[in-house]
Amino acid sequence: MANYYDIDDILVEEEIVSVIFQKAASGVGIDPSSETDFIETGSKVELPFWLAHELQLRQAVSVNVPPCFNQKTRLEIQADCACVDLRSRCPYFYEFGCKIAPIVGDRTIGFLLLSAFKNRYREVLTKAHTAAITAGSKFWTILTNEEINLYETAQSAMASFKKWRMGGARFQIASILGRKRKPTE
Amino acid sequence: MAGQSNHELSLFSAEELEFIAEDEIVDIVPNLKMDPLCLISGDFGPFTPQIVTQVPLWLAIALKKRGKCSIVPPQWMSVEKLTQVLEAERDSQEMSEHLPFHYVEISRLLFDHARDNISDAYMVRSLIEDIRDVRFHKVETDLEAFNGRTIAVKIKNLSAMEVNIVRPFIGRALQAFYKHDSPDLIPDPERVSDRRPQVAPNAPRRQLRR
Repeated sequence: MANYYDIDDILVEEEIVSVIFQKAASGVGIDPSSETDFIETGSKVELPFWLAHELQLRQAVSVNVPPCFNQKTRLEIQADCACVDLRSRCPYFYEFGCKIAPIVGDRTIGFLLLSAFKNRYREVLTKAHTAAITAGSKFWTILTNEEINLYETAQSAMASFKKWRMGGARFQIASILGRKRKPTE
Repeated sequence: MAGQSNHELSLFSAEELEFIAEDEIVDIVPNLKMDPLCLISGDFGPFTPQIVTQVPLWLAIALKKRGKCSIVPPQWMSVEKLTQVLEAERDSQEMSEHLPFHYVEISRLLFDHARDNISDAYMVRSLIEDIRDVRFHKVETDLEAFNGRTIAVKIKNLSAMEVNIVRPFIGRALQAFYKHDSPDLIPDPERVSDRRPQVAPNAPRRQLRR
């Protein structure tokens, strides 16, 4: 609950995971496909992460590894990390990975995240400081939110430096000076 | 969520760095007669025509704007010195130590206000731009070496403006690396198993009350 007010943290927990119910549950309408309000043991339901997490703590469900961490994605990340479109898979790839890893008990997710970030970081580094803002527009469509943040901090630092170097107006005009006087009556 | 929040990691803006750089001392040749100026940062002057004296850059610029002096460009701002520096920068991965900490700002200020006092102004300017580009490229290659185990980076002789450009990026990147490399992320199997019974955290608290 450390990030209770963090909007990104809330959005991360909205990610859908598929779970398998270990216990039967009645009187819940969380499975829209079922006709009754009864969920049988072993049925597979897609739930947002925050709910799945709570149910898993009560051992009511078991959580499956989400598709963005499946074998296919891993192979793609190993092959050419910098070109994988992680944004379409999960915009909060790293944060979600951090949260899901202890839940599904998959130790390899941690390594996957680190190696993916390490390789993609290099790409972000070179592109962010060199590419012009317009030219880079295609590049950042494949980045996750965390990488975009990184990319944008670098770009804005570079842009403000370039602006300073170009010069231009050294003094800012006080807002009251630019305003036209209101016509009286 | 480290590296995510919107707070501004950048400490200074380029304008603020320029302001700080204005405290650097430069040589001027005044063309007026004036008593010494006693300022908090020290006494400057006396000013006698054609006698070189040392003043802070901001004072030099103020006098220059009024046409009361000519600024002597610093030693390092000559074509010959800068050519040497550029070659040294190109030859090794190390940053050259022959440039002052505020070289970007000082050269910019002098080009803005005292262009007529710089010999070969065009050449000097393009040399400084080249040096800056070469140095920045080196910084980038240094940063590429980041990985999860990095806790600090050592880059010698980095100038104020260069460090200011990369500061927000490095801060975020290090935070992200720290987060993804933390041992919590790669939990031991036994730690996961003793997490499951959620009643456990309450037990020690009860003992304390007794």
